[in-house]
Amino acid sequence: MAKNKTEKSYFDRVHSWGRISSVTALCILLMFPMAICLYLDVSPDIKFILQGLLKLIPTYWTVAVVEVLVYTPMLGAGGTYLSFVTGNIANLKLPCAISAMEGAKVKANSEEGEVISTIAIATSAIVTTIVLAIGIIAFAPFLDSFTNSPLLQPAFKMVLPALFGALGAGYFIKHWRISFFPIIVMVLVLLVPGMGTTGASTLLFIGIVASVGGALAMHKLGWLDNVKD
Amino acid sequence: MDATFNNGSLGLYLIAGAIILFVLVQSIFFLVKAWKQGKKLSLDKAKLRNAVTSSALFTIPSALSVLATVIALAPALGLVIPWVRLSVIGNLMYETTAAEAAMEAFGHTGGIANAVTDPTVYAGIAWVMTLGICFSLVILPFLAKPLHKKFMAASNKEKAAEEAAPADGKKKRTIGEFINKFATPAIFIGLIGAFIARAITGQGSTKAPEELDGAGVLSVSTLAVAVIFSIVLEVIVKKLKLTWLEPFVMPIGMIVAMISAIVLYNVLPNGIALIEWRG
Repeated sequence: MAKNKTEKSYFDRVHSWGRISSVTALCILLMFPMAICLYLDVSPDIKFILQGLLKLIPTYWTVAVVEVLVYTPMLGAGGTYLSFVTGNIANLKLPCAISAMEGAKVKANSEEGEVISTIAIATSAIVTTIVLAIGIIAFAPFLDSFTNSPLLQPAFKMVLPALFGALGAGYFIKHWRISFFPIIVMVLVLLVPGMGTTGASTLLFIGIVASVGGALAMHKLGWLDNVKD
Repeated sequence: MDATFNNGSLGLYLIAGAIILFVLVQSIFFLVKAWKQGKKLSLDKAKLRNAVTSSALFTIPSALSVLATVIALAPALGLVIPWVRLSVIGNLMYETTAAEAAMEAFGHTGGIANAVTDPTVYAGIAWVMTLGICFSLVILPFLAKPLHKKFMAASNKEKAAEEAAPADGKKKRTIGEFINKFATPAIFIGLIGAFIARAITGQGSTKAPEELDGAGVLSVSTLAVAVIFSIVLEVIVKKLKLTWLEPFVMPIGMIVAMISAIVLYNVLPNGIALIEWRG
């Protein structure tokens, strides 16, 4: 009983910290263009700002809602707040959290999973910030030639297949029954004329619907009865 | 046009530095709190340490890609705006698009390849990129807690029902059991699968094969190396009981696959590595 009380209070505290830090981050973020305007002593025309925003809002704000709905159950409370402030969720924070939880053998929706996921995402955010800061401040003169090095170019261009292939491997071993269907669906969706360049967010949504739908059907048909938890 | 405008001035760097410092402090705060909670839960210290080291190792290659995006945007915007945008909420995929849309609205020609020399346009681009991406932080404080609680409640309810149920030998295939056992892995597989499918049949955004932005020989071979190497390494780790190596299977698999991309690109006969099925 006592443990249960601690459990609740920890999650509640995480949500309080998260809410405060999200609002603070939002204010600080909005102060950035404001500070630039004050520092440069300029005031851009609102008409042009709105024109630019009109191109982004229909996609970006819809994606923001979908991302909050999809990622929150996977990242845990602390991980969610941290991830949405630091960004790069799909290509970095989420795979990092999944990998750490797999490594620690904890489930995403457990208290242990919450702790490991938060540690993984916080570490990832700190490392990314340090790498960027070092890269920008100290490494700037050589950075251009490093990232554009003809030798290293193929590795940087192939970072996503390398990342998600390695990450997927652990899941294919454990959950191979539910892995094939969503991948086949998405491969076929991309082959539909006009769909080949479908954005990551749309494809991700299709993938999750296909994966959850397929797994649910297999569960109902009893094909997953022998899968160990 | 202002000849004195310098997009790399100390003042701009100090503004950016203050924002980045906030991100760093917030991350350290959550890390310390989670670590303490892990100790309270009697989680093995080695597990906590492994989570830190494997996550750090895992992050470095991707962080270099983020750095590459900052550099890609630097010719037009300097380093300050891309640095802040990719450190707070930013995303590899969104920021370039957002910068292009903002530049277009302000009549800046030549896209991200051309330097923005007008400070008013520079500040306007900062506004568009910031406002375009910040919506998740507006809704998160309202949605995160109820969503999280709902998911936890569904998970716990099913766990309790499973424990309380008499062992009558009959298999119940309820939605609750599905949520508890398969929903999370299914969501993860859906997410991972989206990127895997793109590496197999995705079309590039440009027709230039040297851009390597579509599915082709190199993307499929890198993907295959990543999957096969990671599976083989995982099997070896299990067979030889090398538990200390387990958290590193994924980052090692990823780095080996990236190295394989460099090797194949240079070893394959001329042009083969550049083949993309759909451009």
